[in-house]
Parts: sequence; structure tokens; C-alpha cells
Amino acid sequence: MSGQGLTGLSSWSRRFVAAGVLVWCVITAFPLYWVLVTAFKTPPGVVGGPTYIPFVDFTPTLQPFIDLYQGIRGEFFRTFLNSTIVGLSAAAIATAIGAMAAYALVRFEFKVRFGAGLIFFLLALGGYLLFSNNLGFTRAQALLLAFPIALVVAIIANRLPLPGPILGNEDILFWFVSQRMFPPIVTAFALYLLYSEIGRLGFQLIDSFVGLTLCYVAFSLPIVVWLMRDFFEAIPIEVEEAAMVDNVPSWRIFLGIVVPMSMNGLLATFMITLAFVWNEFLFALFLTNSKWQTLPILVAGQNSQRGDEWWAISAAALVAIIPMMIMAGLLSRMMRSGLLLGAIK
Amino acid sequence: MMRNDPIKHVFIWPAVLVVLAISIFPLIYSFTTSFLSYRLIPPIPPRVVWFGNYVTLLQEPRFWNAILTTTLIAFIAVGLQYVIGFGVALALNARVPGERLFRVALLLPMLLAPVAVALVARMIFNPTMGPLNQFLSMFGLANLPFLTNGHWALGCIIAVEIWQWTPFVILMMLAGLQTLPEDVYEAAELENASAWQQFWGITFPMMLPISATVVFIRLIESYKIMDTVFVMTGGGPGVDTETLTLFAYQEGFKKFNLGYTSALSFLFLIAITIIGVTYLALLRPHLEKSR
Repeated sequence: MSGQGLTGLSSWSRRFVAAGVLVWCVITAFPLYWVLVTAFKTPPGVVGGPTYIPFVDFTPTLQPFIDLYQGIRGEFFRTFLNSTIVGLSAAAIATAIGAMAAYALVRFEFKVRFGAGLIFFLLALGGYLLFSNNLGFTRAQALLLAFPIALVVAIIANRLPLPGPILGNEDILFWFVSQRMFPPIVTAFALYLLYSEIGRLGFQLIDSFVGLTLCYVAFSLPIVVWLMRDFFEAIPIEVEEAAMVDNVPSWRIFLGIVVPMSMNGLLATFMITLAFVWNEFLFALFLTNSKWQTLPILVAGQNSQRGDEWWAISAAALVAIIPMMIMAGLLSRMMRSGLLLGAIK
Repeated sequence: MMRNDPIKHVFIWPAVLVVLAISIFPLIYSFTTSFLSYRLIPPIPPRVVWFGNYVTLLQEPRFWNAILTTTLIAFIAVGLQYVIGFGVALALNARVPGERLFRVALLLPMLLAPVAVALVARMIFNPTMGPLNQFLSMFGLANLPFLTNGHWALGCIIAVEIWQWTPFVILMMLAGLQTLPEDVYEAAELENASAWQQFWGITFPMMLPISATVVFIRLIESYKIMDTVFVMTGGGPGVDTETLTLFAYQEGFKKFNLGYTSALSFLFLIAITIIGVTYLALLRPHLEKSR
């Protein structure tokens, strides 16, 4: 960790480089400063042209925030609560089951026959078509029936000596991570249709806590598994081996030794997941309409609702931004302790 | 060392089940729907048209326009993010004065909601009351059509993308720079290699694997761009800044043209896969050489 590459530079060019970084910093900071001051402006402070310094250029006021709280431009308080609840639960669930899967992929050996995977996909597809077209089930029912059948058959098939390659842990990891490559619009739209058909069966998923959280958990898992695998790999295996000699069961090794040792990693992963869910727009747009609407949807709506009321728009944007600013502070502290180093190797 | 213990299934199945359910369901659903002519408004009973939707789409200029727009945004934004991000990471790694302060500030944008950032950008790019207009007026460039002219709007969206995601590049590159071995540089120092030579001879090739990963992640993510455009221009003026995701949203959620939208999202998936595979194939020889 030393200053490579630039140590050979003269003090003159060092200053030049520092100036360059400073310029980028100003570019980064200015919009944030702008939204911060604009949120405290009165209408005349906005319309009269750009003003920059509170008390000098304009008189600050808290009115935009009072308006927000009173719900003049939509139910901000409730939406904020929604975002918090969905964000925290989705991040917690995703981190928990993602960490478990990552640990399993690091420490246990898995073998999946390619043939079994193929059987799963073909049976799911074929079963769906059969049930919906020939046996008169609705599309959602057909999917819900085909899925477990295909899964059970595939698990049994995995025990049989099928021809074809055998996939190991690396391939399972790749499968997890590759889910992230998926354009979310493919899933979001289909999920919307699927949720509404399941809703017709009597179980409401659209605009519900369960539906939204489930979808966010699924979409955070690839990142969680990817990050956590690196943290677990960094843990020396000797500790676990010592416990195994004493016949400590695996789940206790995981909960009692591995989890405490990788607390930092779990925390960072949790926060990254939380940020992702908090900021997510597309799924919330498709899967909610009123009751469980999240902040990004409400914030995006501010734009068209009443034109250029910048003080209100800024206050709304600030409400969405500030929790993440606090997280950035926490994360950067962890970053300094070299936490993210392992994550990219 | 790998253990074998039946409990491993308890560990891995919850995650596998959730991901399987949420990814396979929609995949099968939209795959089969993409061969149907199926509308909700006005309601038309589904009819099998095989590749009809795909053929219509491939002949639709708006689709090609969306592909072009998305590609432009992705490639220009990611290219500039990489150059700026690598530069700043190098500078931070060399411990320029004030480096500590920079780190917190530089991390911020990527954690902020893109819709909120886009709202702020709309204010800054306002052609009459915005601060950028005031700044440019000093150089005699007043009232530029930032978001009302197609080319300008595209530029503004790219600028916002760069602003928001360069921190990600900085973060990854910085972490990568810190893992480079020191002795190579000491040897280069003895040979009197200039900083410029050291960069192209040592730093750049050694950073190539990380660079490839970073650019790959950013490229794939950029192709999904939707919220920034949705708020900043709504795809306008006209369809000048309409991206693929936005186009699919308009067709699917505004017109409820299900078969057509499913076909569109599948073409999107195919396009992403092609780009990803091509990228990896192009880079593979370089990556292996540097190891």
C-alpha cells in the first residue's frame, strides 16, 4: 500500500494531479450542495435565478419540509416507512440466506448434473404448456404446478448416472451471479403479470409487502452470494477444522464461529443490499401502485405533479438521499480498514 | 478442503429456491407469451403468431432507435467513467494531499437513488433558472436547450451517468491498485523508468483483469438504464432519448401489448448476452497474457 506510479513525479505535477482530483470533487459535491440549499429556499428564492449561499443570497425556511410531512405532495411519511420496512427486511433476508448459500459453496462440495438442470427447465416449460393449454388450468396455476414437479423430478434425476458434464461449485456460483446480468425489465414485466394472475387466485402479491420483498430478495441474492463468498474464503479453515475434531455440528460452526468472524463483511453486504433496495425503481414501478409504494416512485412523481416547485422537489430528493449519505459515511469507514479489498479478487 | 455433510442442502436451498422461482417463472412466462398476439387493452384473446412479434419488432424503427440510444449512452458513459475513474484512483493511491476527505465525498453518488439524482440534474440543467445556465452565461452561452434538444439531452443523460457511476470505478480501481506488488516498481525505479513508462509498462497491464471486470459490470448495468431517463426526459424530445427498458415499459405498461413486450424483452436479453459474450471473447487473450 504505497503511493505507486506517482511517487516519481515532481512536486509540480503532484500539485497538478491534486488540482485535477479537486476539480472532480467539486463536480461531485456541487449538485449535492445545490439540492441541500434549494430545499431550504422560499419560492422567490428560486424563481429569481440561481442563489447559492443561505442568509446572504436568500432567507432559508423549513416550509418545504413541513409541507412534506403534512403530506401536501403525497404521503411522504408513509412512503418513507414503506421504503424502510421493505429495505430492511429484504436486505436482512437476502444477507441471511445469501450468506448461508455462499458458505455452503465455499466449504461443501456440490455436484449438479447438467442433464438434471436441462430436465428441470424442459419439464417446467413443457409442464406449463401442457397444464395451461390442454388441461384447462389458468396460466398462473399451470406455472405453480409445473415448478414443483419439475424440481422434484430434477432432484431425483440428479442421482441417476446421466450422460453429460457435471457442474461443480464454481458453476453454481456463476449461475447465481449471471442472474444479475438479466435485464430487469424481462423479469419485472413478467412478474407483474404473474403476480396479478396469482392475485386472481386469491393471494394478493401486487402492491403487497410479501410480493415486493420476495422480488428484492431474489434480485439481491446474486450480489450477496458473490460478496460473501470472498469473505468466507478469507477465513482460515484451521479454526473450523479444530471445531470439527470436537464433533461440533456444521450449523453451530457456521453460527458460532464463521458468522462472528465475518461480521464486518456481513454488515457491509447488508448495507450494500439495503442501498440497492432503497434506490430501486423499476420493480417498485411495476409491482406497487398505492399502499406499498416506495420512495423512488414518489420522488420520480414529484417532477410532473406541479412543475418547477424546486424547493419541494429538493426536499423530496433530500429525504430519499440522506439515509444513503449516512450509509456512505459508515461504508467509507469500513473501506479504510481494507474491507473491500478482498471483495474484488 | 471440502466437507461433505447433508446439512449443506439446508444451507444452499433457500437461496436457490428463491432465485429459481423468481427467475425461471418469468422466463418461461414471457418466453411463451412472446409467440402470442396478446393484448389486455383492448382485450384480445391470445393467438399464436410464432415469430410474428419478433418480425414486427425488427422492422420497427423505434426499436432500432432505442438500441442505438442505449448503446450510445452505455459506451460513451462507461468509457469516460473508466478514464476518469482510473485517473482519480491513481491520484488517490499516490496519496495526493487531502486524500482522506476525498474518499467519503467520492463514494457518495453511487449510493444515491438515480431518480433523486435525475431530479437534481433537471434543476441544474434548467435552461433559464439553473446554475449551469448562469455559469455558461458568463461565457456568452445563455439558455442552451439542455433537455429539449435531442443531442443535448443525450449528452446530459450521459453526464449524469458519469457523475453517478464514476465513484464505482474509482472504488474498484483503488482496491485493485492497492493489491499491486511494490517490488516491481522499485525495480522500474532503478532502471530510471519514467512515471509514464511505469504506468503503461506495469500498472496498466497488471490492472487489466480488474479493469475488464469493472467495465463489464458497468456496461451491463448501463444497458438497463431507465430511471435516470424516465425522470430527466421521459424519453423525449420525441423518442430521441428513449432507451430499451423505457421502450419496453411504454409498450407493456401503457399499451398492455403483452406478446410484443415479451418479444422485446427477449430480444433485449439476447442483445445483452451477445454483448457480454463478445466482450469476454475479445478480452480473453489479453487477460491470459497478463497473468
